Amino acid sequence: MMYDVCIIGSGAGGSPIAYELSNAGFNVVVLEKGKNYKEEDFSKDELGVSRRNMFTPLLKEEQHVINQREEDGSITRYVGSEAEWSFWNGSMVGGSSNLMSGYFHRMKPNDFKLKSVYGEIEGANVVDWPISYEELEPYYEKVERVVGVSGNITKHKFSEPRSTPNFPHAKLEENGVTKWFDSACANLGFESIPTPRAILPHATLNRNACSYSNFCGSYGCATGAKGSARAALLQKCKAEIITEAFVYKLESDESKITTVHYYDKNMQSHEVRAKIFVVAAQAIESARLLLNSKNIYFPHGIANNSKEVGRNLIFSGGGSGQGRFKFENLTKNQQIELMQAGVFFNRSLQDWYDYEESGKKYKGGTIDFLFEHANIVSRASREFYNDEGDIIWGDALRKKIHKTLTTSRVLSFEVFNDWLPSDECFVSVDAEVEDKFHMPVGAINLWGHPQDVKIGEYLAKKATQVLKEMGAEEISYSISSAPPPNLVAGGCRFGDNPKTSVLDKNCKAHELQNLYVTDASFMPTGGSVPYTWTIYANSFRVADKIIEELKKG
Amino acid sequence: MILNSRRAFLKTSFLTTAVIVMSAGKLFGAVYPLDTMVIAAEDLFAHAKKLEVDVRAYLLIILHHTRVTEEEKTSIRNGAQWLNEEAVAQYKKTYTQLSADKRQEILKIVSKEKWGENWIYALLSYVMEATFSDKVYGVNKNENGQKWLEFAAGMPRPKEPLL
Ligand SMILES: Cc1cc2nc3c(=O)[nH]c(=O)nc-3n(C[C@H](O)[C@H](O)[C@H](O)COP(=O)(O)OP(=O)(O)OC[C@H]3O[C@@H](n4cnc5c(N)ncnc54)[C@H](O)[C@@H]3O)c2cc1C
Ligand code: SF4
Repeated sequence: MMYDVCIIGSGAGGSPIAYELSNAGFNVVVLEKGKNYKEEDFSKDELGVSRRNMFTPLLKEEQHVINQREEDGSITRYVGSEAEWSFWNGSMVGGSSNLMSGYFHRMKPNDFKLKSVYGEIEGANVVDWPISYEELEPYYEKVERVVGVSGNITKHKFSEPRSTPNFPHAKLEENGVTKWFDSACANLGFESIPTPRAILPHATLNRNACSYSNFCGSYGCATGAKGSARAALLQKCKAEIITEAFVYKLESDESKITTVHYYDKNMQSHEVRAKIFVVAAQAIESARLLLNSKNIYFPHGIANNSKEVGRNLIFSGGGSGQGRFKFENLTKNQQIELMQAGVFFNRSLQDWYDYEESGKKYKGGTIDFLFEHANIVSRASREFYNDEGDIIWGDALRKKIHKTLTTSRVLSFEVFNDWLPSDECFVSVDAEVEDKFHMPVGAINLWGHPQDVKIGEYLAKKATQVLKEMGAEEISYSISSAPPPNLVAGGCRFGDNPKTSVLDKNCKAHELQNLYVTDASFMPTGGSVPYTWTIYANSFRVADKIIEELKKG
Repeated sequence: MILNSRRAFLKTSFLTTAVIVMSAGKLFGAVYPLDTMVIAAEDLFAHAKKLEVDVRAYLLIILHHTRVTEEEKTSIRNGAQWLNEEAVAQYKKTYTQLSADKRQEILKIVSKEKWGENWIYALLSYVMEATFSDKVYGVNKNENGQKWLEFAAGMPRPKEPLL
């Protein structure tokens, strides 16, 4: 059978295409390597979800090799299964979007023209995007409506222009401690922003309201309120989804993809043919698939005669920090407010989205504040060491766990700033290690530009000022070049020049007529926000282009 | 059903086969790793027993778990053996034969070694997992762990354990 469109990967990058194209009457198939979990399959089993990582592959079966560039320029090689270093996020229908926390920020107009606004940076491949914020804005707005984004617009120094006055869904219920935050920010002259979330506060869009389950990030949503690609899009369209279908190769002639090959769970190989192919297997795996698909026309991998595939891999720069609020410093009412579970903290700061230091303009970023994750095993395990750094046990440990977990709570923050793209951070395939399908595994060549840490530090210090003003203790932060595996982009940049980019401005491969890449791989720079709203918006944009293309015949 | 039962045999043998404890290069005796782990787990966090958490049953779950790597299982088993070797070196008795005070002394000694610290950390982590597990795992039936910390477990709860 010949499909109109075949999509590889059912996450945030693939699903808007499936939704739009199948709703427009096209014949769409989605190939997804994971299983299909529905609302009724999700629970808050910390042991299964967080301790045993049930939604990601076993590393001995599927893994990555990580080649980390050290400060002295040497490379340290880590085999994922040996180092227990995982870059998997969610292998399931809907992908990692099932497990996201849904902190949603749009990129800002300047993020689309980093090079023009902030200039070249030595050691970094900074470029402008081939599209502007204005071109993506209608699709950001579409995501608000179709996927569902809740929040409340408050004007601030870096507010991005909007085509509608406010979000279609009111903001979620908030924890009382947000008031302490707001007044601390007012004292410091910072602008506190309610964090937009891809979560429905009320039943709508044929989905239930959020139940404030207290276990959101890392967990599947049992109500359907979280705007996962599965709940918001795939469950609402007629695209055919083939699960446990691991795509291992794209086949092509000199100008078109003709067939994709996948293994089912019994290692039987199958073929799918379509007019248009869309790769959206998450940045690292998309590049790996293209690189592993070599033929006489594309000896370096599909769409890679330019040798650009895999280059300029980026993550989210920054890191995280925290402060602890202790009962002994609080009134009875404040203690009750502090321990309110379920309701969200939802506060962000973007005061330093760009800033000046020593007369130079820097691109800064976003700080999201949130309570420490509710996972109790993790929280108890954090108490295993005393202040001297010695492991403790017995009665000392029992008392420490009880006191810490019942009479204090940690407010955390996460810093998001640009991870500057560079020649040293890229995806390749490993020459030695294969996965259970006998395919070369993806190699992640890691390096973080020193400016990323500098900016992250600047932002983290601002965040700690707020925690201090709020009366938190034990304030600390950690900013580094360690990559967050769940916030990954790049590897198949879009751009106008086929020599320096893999995709054109519509995310179609320059070198092929019918291949699109619609996960975060297309992003030449990442913006200083988590990526998913932009991934969704861009994928809706590309869906319109593919519809135009198919209508042309 | 020969194959099945042989598999079951292999599974149980991992923990119930005695490991050899050496002292100064000579054979000292044999111990069962699971017994050592259970006693050490109680020495490390006796409160679990007060909370009626069945740590022994949980360690069995972990050591047969499809998503716990063989390396992890082997390192726990090795740790049990080395703990006994330290006990023999210090007191000429296996860990399980020592008094509670002496066992604490041994734990203090091994906690200064990298392997010992890692082993204690791993064992404590499993004890915490047992203590806060959903009752569907069958080792924390009254959820006393959650009650101890006034912790409201997330909803919905798992319908079956992930083993
Ligand atoms: C715990 C967690 C919290 C997060 N929180 C946030 C947040 O607050 N805000 C935010 O913006 N983002 C967040 N994210 C990130 C967000 O989930 C991702 O940005 C987004 O899902 C990426 O979309 P994607 O399509 O690239 O990948 P995915 O959504 O992961 O989809 C890729 C899909 O492709 C499948 N696949 C891979 N290889 C193959 C193959 N060879 N054949 C077939 N199928 C394949 C995978 O199984 C997967 O289902 C979070 C992620 C996690 C894990
Ligand atoms: S119900 Fe609400 S809090 Fe729970 S997972 Fe879904 S969106 Fe998150």
